[in-house]
Amino acid sequence: MLNYNSPILDSKNYSGLKISVIEPIIKINLRGKNRDFITKIGKELSIIPPTEANTSSGNENLNILWLSPDEWLIYSNNKIDFKNNNSLEDKLFNEISKVKLGAVTNVTDHWIMINLKGEKVFELLSGGCPYNFNDFKNLKGSVTQTLVNHIDVIIHNKDINDLNLFVRRSFSEHLWSWINDGSRFI
Amino acid sequence: MFLINCPYCGERDQSEFSAGGEAHIERPKQPTELSDDQWAEFLFMRKNIKGIQYERWNHTHGCRKWFNMVRDTSNDKIHAVYKMGEKPPVK
Ligand SMILES: [Zn+2]
Repeated sequence: MLNYNSPILDSKNYSGLKISVIEPIIKINLRGKNRDFITKIGKELSIIPPTEANTSSGNENLNILWLSPDEWLIYSNNKIDFKNNNSLEDKLFNEISKVKLGAVTNVTDHWIMINLKGEKVFELLSGGCPYNFNDFKNLKGSVTQTLVNHIDVIIHNKDINDLNLFVRRSFSEHLWSWINDGSRFI
Repeated sequence: MFLINCPYCGERDQSEFSAGGEAHIERPKQPTELSDDQWAEFLFMRKNIKGIQYERWNHTHGCRKWFNMVRDTSNDKIHAVYKMGEKPPVK
């Protein structure tokens, strides 16, 4: 049962870094393989899912992140409007899942979104991450899935020094503690 | 620590990957017609070569896709990386 409650709803300021949990944000996982699937998503959302690895596409409302050759994550730039919070899921479910073009799964409660902003973001992440951020950092819209402090995360480079990080709900409190702890030392 | 070139995501640290054992082992077409020894051979017996080995790997903490790798087990040098279903490069 979706309850749209984050275990943390906090925001902290450190020197050169601002971290905040931004919830509730709608997140939808898409899986599909064929060309019809891509075209259909493009038609429904007016955004084409990116086929190039480690990239994203989007408009002022929605982002589509590349996760693998046949998997994407949609998330919204705006918090959930509870009056019509299921419209996007319903629309995609009816157009994609029902006609067996692909799979649409609402993962709003699965992931917690943490926004990291400031010139020290990459310094913080480098403390516990095997990923090389050299190219990623200058490429607006780039996406990576990697580990931070041994925890699986999806990171979206929203803007220069402005990242949205997705972490599984059950790991979110632990990662939040780690981020806060690390932020004191950079 | 070494780098692995995931055929989907590009070069990543080894800690994002999991090894999945020997590659290109075919499941027998008619398991019921095999003796216990033959079935055990398919199920359990794996080469453990010192040198060039064909292996399956999974990008567990990235795209979560399986792929194949040709690796020298004596020095961890990776000779080739190729997608599932693709033909292995000749030795
Ligand atoms: Zn990968």
